[in-house]
Amino acid sequence: MALLERSEWYDIARRTEWTPGYVSDDELYPEGHSGDYDIPGEAWSTYDEPYKISYREYVDIQRQKDAGAYSVKAALERMDLRSKVDPGWISTLKLHYGAVSVVEYNAGLMESRFVRWARSPGMRNMGTFGMLDEIRHAQLQLFFPHEYVPTDRQFDWAHSGMKSNNWGIIAGRHFFDDMMMTRDAVSTSILLNFAFETGFTNLQFIGLSSDAANAGDFSFSKLIQSIQSDEARHAQIGTPMLAMMIENGEKERAQRLVDVAFWRSWKLFTILTGIPMDYYIPLDKREGSFKEFMQEWIVTQFVNSLEDLGLAKPWYWDIFLADIDEHHHGQQLGTWSWRPTLWFSPAAGVGPDERDWLEEKYPGWNDTFGKCWDAIIENLKRGDIGRTVPGTLPIICNMSNIPIRRTTRWSTTGGSTTSARSPIAGSSSRTRSATPPTKRSLIACSPARSSPPTSAVCCSTWASACSATAVATPTTTSGCPPTSRVPTRRRRTDRWQHSHSR
Amino acid sequence: MTEELKPLRTWSHLVGQRRRPSEYEIVSVGLLWHARGETVPFEVEGASFMNDWVMRYRDNSAITHDDWDSFRDPDELVYRTYNILQDGQESYVDGLLDQYDNEGHDESLSGAWLDVLEALYTPGRYLVHTSQMASAYLVHMAPASTICNCAAFQTADALRWVSRIAYRTASLAKAHPDRSFGESERATWENAPAWQGYRELMERALVAYDWAEAFVALNLVAVPAISEGYYRAMALSARRNDDTLLALMAEAALRDGDRARRWSQALVGHMLDVESNRAQLQEWVDAWAPYGTSAIEAFAGELPDVPDRAAAGSEALRRAHSSAGLATSDG
Ligand SMILES: [Fe+2]
Ligand SMILES: [Fe+2]
Repeated sequence: MALLERSEWYDIARRTEWTPGYVSDDELYPEGHSGDYDIPGEAWSTYDEPYKISYREYVDIQRQKDAGAYSVKAALERMDLRSKVDPGWISTLKLHYGAVSVVEYNAGLMESRFVRWARSPGMRNMGTFGMLDEIRHAQLQLFFPHEYVPTDRQFDWAHSGMKSNNWGIIAGRHFFDDMMMTRDAVSTSILLNFAFETGFTNLQFIGLSSDAANAGDFSFSKLIQSIQSDEARHAQIGTPMLAMMIENGEKERAQRLVDVAFWRSWKLFTILTGIPMDYYIPLDKREGSFKEFMQEWIVTQFVNSLEDLGLAKPWYWDIFLADIDEHHHGQQLGTWSWRPTLWFSPAAGVGPDERDWLEEKYPGWNDTFGKCWDAIIENLKRGDIGRTVPGTLPIICNMSNIPIRRTTRWSTTGGSTTSARSPIAGSSSRTRSATPPTKRSLIACSPARSSPPTSAVCCSTWASACSATAVATPTTTSGCPPTSRVPTRRRRTDRWQHSHSR
Repeated sequence: MTEELKPLRTWSHLVGQRRRPSEYEIVSVGLLWHARGETVPFEVEGASFMNDWVMRYRDNSAITHDDWDSFRDPDELVYRTYNILQDGQESYVDGLLDQYDNEGHDESLSGAWLDVLEALYTPGRYLVHTSQMASAYLVHMAPASTICNCAAFQTADALRWVSRIAYRTASLAKAHPDRSFGESERATWENAPAWQGYRELMERALVAYDWAEAFVALNLVAVPAISEGYYRAMALSARRNDDTLLALMAEAALRDGDRARRWSQALVGHMLDVESNRAQLQEWVDAWAPYGTSAIEAFAGELPDVPDRAAAGSEALRRAHSSAGLATSDG
């Protein structure tokens, strides 16, 4: 066909900036939506998206991708997932869908904010494709789990979860409202597209895809691979913006956005990805450990992309590296203990072979986290189930909104230098914890607008101090720490929603 | 401490429905966690920019409904059917471009018609891009995901035509390098009298922050005004000036406009479930329609060989309002 190449007309399609004549520039691009970055007018038009696609190509390629994903689903329709795969994999699916499907949809709304408020026409066009992508991800990840609802009520959380006041959901909702839904378009493209999508979504979508195939869930494996191929494109929306900020004297704010988003994403993914990878997925199906994926995707690749742009690693890098060894193990103990509050049935994943694997991947695991499980196992062997289910609720970090945890290893390896760990506690800046936050951690872990969620989880003690007795019989403090901020909404009693169908 | 909950045949929020839910309903309904009726939309401090914005311009809109989630797109489009539909439509357009290119179309156009294309066709990418932006506002401000989806596909449709206009601009520039195709459009959009009606309408629609007013301004006035003037009057004028390619492309764009009209009418119908919404909708239609008719008249009035199109376009706009169940404005 004698058609023009895309490159012959592409630049014209993204030259659409004009000077308003009937309304003011401030009305057309209010700061709260468009940002208050000190970037001169002409510079916005230099935004150059690295991954180019036309509408014509988009609808063709995406139609074909959908045909692939849906045909795998149709081919495997009659397979009764529950009789074919390990229960640990089912839990992984439930956790994933409950935390991801509806978030994808609202990521589409975020992309639509770029289309309206970004000052760079190229970003407005890429936002349009990004918006469509996220609608796709939502629809796929609602359609696939819907098939399981008639046999398993917990899959209803794929749709209803995000509107609940479950503690994990509140953590997710606060994360996404803070990072994705409520900042200006420029900041959001750094927080969400650059830090979250180019960094962390790889973990979930590439990491879990191979695990899924190993576990025999081919439709999920194919599904999330297909989703990741879209992410790889629209995740790049933030990168040219970041370069533009750096060029125009906004490097410090750019770095700060990366620091904030990275820390918050890391905490979220310890639960979303860390726990399934190292505990739920059957041992013989594991592609690698969470730590190995973190090393590959985050420590190596993400840092390379940061440094390519001239940014530094986040200031808390050493703390983060130590956290990779530990944090999700604590969260696994916590989530398993508080299993009545989850919408999935968590696997403990600590049989003898699994423990060997954990010890190999995380040397020292047996002497620390393993001891906590020894106590739990002791209680279970005695039939004392009650002692394995805490009667009180954990202390929730007031920023990350996930339980605060601490291990004996900290006090032995950290010893009197616990302040070296303090930025972790500092992420919960307004919550009193065993380790008081340093001033630095307060500043860096509490971005100006990160505030507690409006649906506050009632704070009480998390049995994270990892001693056998603490796990079995947590000590309690009553009410919220005096330093925590009063949530804007009154506390309610239905906050801990249970979802039992065992 | 555990109670057994019975499995459901579909999502819990759809079980009350007698009919088996369609794929459209399974994947489209009830997806906004920030519209779940809490005091503030987002899990961030009550007094923050987006909480204030969304409360003011969405939750406290003058247009109310106690069940926005019950709105349904009459076309029931989902992502994958949208792509199937538009991939077919785009193949059709590719076919047109290829065929007319083989026939030496661009070289055959008269000088007088090339003047018209420069003045009235290629600057249209600015116009259509403003409708892309305005549609995107509805995507993040509408109170139900079923409305957001319609607006999202409309946003994408606009990018489709921005792209096709850019394509044609590049083709015309290649065939007629002595002309200003690809160079002069911004100045024309900003200054030429023919465009100022559209520009004023679109700039004002872009800052109509109340989501329901933005919907009225865009979908009941601007999108029909673009259809009637920029596409329909243009198609007719093009055909009369031996530019069949443009006529066929403009008519292809009108098919997207027809889909916009279907969901717009459905949404007005949904809003009119609540009788007290009528007066406000009418007030907005009356306030916005004059911008629409001025835009059509200023634009179509300059197109050659279609002396009646300005009046016919304004009449079509009025008909659109009456078929949506609202009184026609005098413009
Ligand atoms: Fe996505
Ligand atoms: Fe994404």
